[in-house]
Amino acid sequence: MSQEPLIRLTDVSKVYHLESGDFTALDHVSLDIQENEFVAIMGPSGSGKSTMMNHLGILDVPTAGALYIDGKDVAKLTALERTHMRRDMIGYIFQKFYLIPLLTAYENVEYPLILKYKKRDTTGKAAEMLTAVGIDEHMSAHRPNQLSGGQQQRVAIARALINEPRILLCDEPTGNLDRKTGFQIMDILINLHKHGKTVILVTHDPKIAEYAHRIIELEDGRIVGS
Amino acid sequence: MMDIFFDLSVRSVRLNFLRSLLASIGIVIGVVAISSMGMLGTNMQLSVKDQLSANVNTVMISSDVVKIRTTANVSTTSSGIDKSTLNDIESSAGQNQVIPIHRTSTQFTIGSTDGRGSIYGLDPNDIPKFLTVDQGSLTKGGSDVLVGATIASNFNLNVGSRIKIGPSNTANRPVVRVAGILTARGIASDGVNADTAIIVPDLWYTDHYGDKDVYDQVNVIVQNVDTISDVESAIDKKVNRNTQIVRISDASSRLTSITATLGTITTFIMAIGGISLVVAAVSIFNVMMMSVKERVQEIGILLSIGTEKGEVRRMFLYEAIILGLIGAIVGGICSFVIGYSVVNAMLGNTTYFFRPESLIYIPYGMVIGVVVCIISGMYPAWMASNMDPIDALRSE
Ligand SMILES: Nc1ncnc2c1ncn2[C@@H]1O[C@H](COP(=O)(O)OP(=O)(O)OP(=O)(O)O)[C@@H](O)[C@H]1O
Ligand SMILES: [Mg+2]
Repeated sequence: MSQEPLIRLTDVSKVYHLESGDFTALDHVSLDIQENEFVAIMGPSGSGKSTMMNHLGILDVPTAGALYIDGKDVAKLTALERTHMRRDMIGYIFQKFYLIPLLTAYENVEYPLILKYKKRDTTGKAAEMLTAVGIDEHMSAHRPNQLSGGQQQRVAIARALINEPRILLCDEPTGNLDRKTGFQIMDILINLHKHGKTVILVTHDPKIAEYAHRIIELEDGRIVGS
Repeated sequence: MMDIFFDLSVRSVRLNFLRSLLASIGIVIGVVAISSMGMLGTNMQLSVKDQLSANVNTVMISSDVVKIRTTANVSTTSSGIDKSTLNDIESSAGQNQVIPIHRTSTQFTIGSTDGRGSIYGLDPNDIPKFLTVDQGSLTKGGSDVLVGATIASNFNLNVGSRIKIGPSNTANRPVVRVAGILTARGIASDGVNADTAIIVPDLWYTDHYGDKDVYDQVNVIVQNVDTISDVESAIDKKVNRNTQIVRISDASSRLTSITATLGTITTFIMAIGGISLVVAAVSIFNVMMMSVKERVQEIGILLSIGTEKGEVRRMFLYEAIILGLIGAIVGGICSFVIGYSVVNAMLGNTTYFFRPESLIYIPYGMVIGVVVCIISGMYPAWMASNMDPIDALRSE
């Protein structure tokens, strides 16, 4: 394809320096992901899936090699530019939801808007987004610890989507949910992909990986199949 | 609420209400210590200042030249201001009151009790210009005298009492009659310590002690205290034109040095109060570190979804400010009550407590309390904002 990829990893390695010696979590990984692709990343536990996701989410920078997102070399950005890119371009959905415990469901979704516009939201966008993922108004006033796992994940998805990111990173989003709820969450993600999002999904479940266009298999930090 | 980070801080403080409250108590104590010490010192200064500044408008002139005279074949050394110098003083003093004063000390006998005190010889017309009579009336001359409040109470003097002046072994001692008793005036900063003195008419004085037209001191009462240094320099220029003849002084320099000393003492006792704020700072620091440590994962979440470091820092600084404000407000209220009691107990008088110079120490202490909290919160806030988001997220 001649079009510049949305995400490009060239020879990316990540080495953790531990007391027991160096540990290579990503080992010369090269990969292109185009806009509006739906990619599943699979592999055994400890193969480096989350490490890869953290790189794509600009939470981590490669030890060696280069990572380009939207044509920008992530290693060359300042910390603040990376923060803004994380805020504006990337929606990250975690296995453990990671909602802010002191904020209500509504405020959790509103939060990225506040980060971006530096003021409270008055457009009703956050409420709309919550409705879209199936959280009603009554539920919106609850704190995360008053919600079920499925509800929390819906809120987390709404939070990830609120700033209209181009990239949606999902690290085992259904891993902590029962099968039925897991499929409901997957329906939301598939729908988002249909609306133009680039979705990158880590999963252990081959049934869920079936939804993807492309499956990348990791083992010991290397891509062993795609 | 406008700022979500402020909201988060408020909720965090509320979540750990008891812990936050305990940390704030340190600030309360610090604020109270600083404010009440400051207020105590200021009240001390104000009351001393008011006592001393009663006669601060008086220029005191005394002779710098020692003269040797021979009276009745006894040579005495004395320093006096002569008639021509007095004329010079009067001409350079302008509209201000000039009061020539004779002074000596003597023994006296009242009834059968001997005593010792000063005798001031004053023109009866000059007396009401700076002295007030508490009982009886002013002297019109002759051998009618006024006595100071201390002498009067020590010797149970009344209007009409008689006093024999001079050492008890001399014969034919002159007798004076008490016409009035003066109001107590405390430490007089015009050099006339009337409380322990007998004030006699100037004619009576020169009749008995000589020294006609030679004065021990001349006071100039300045109508407008702001012109005091102009008056002093005018006198100095005229009288001391060739040689140093008189020494000119006033109470203002003494007042300045006393208030400066009291100011230093105030600062010192406030600094001691400030030590309690250091203890408070440590407890605030401790609570802030606990708050950061407990919220590591939350910080990881905030950072990983695009919160700027500065925003995380702000969140924790708000928390420190909230603790500081709670401490400062409670401390401010307590300072008012405790400060009032301390001033009342130590000075026995709260006339000056409500003066702005005194009350200013309450907001002053409060601001210091909040600033101490902000400083204590700085490192924890910095630590939170510099966490690695991935490490922070992984912590449980
Ligand atoms: N911060 C770190 N310090 C040291 N080692 C790390 C760190 N993060 C990850 N690793 C190591 O890198 C390897 C890959 O970890 P990663 O979390 O990417 O695995 P994973 O594929 O997501 O596994 P799982 O399916 O269990 O989530 C693991 O062996 C892990 O111990
Ligand atoms: Mg993982």
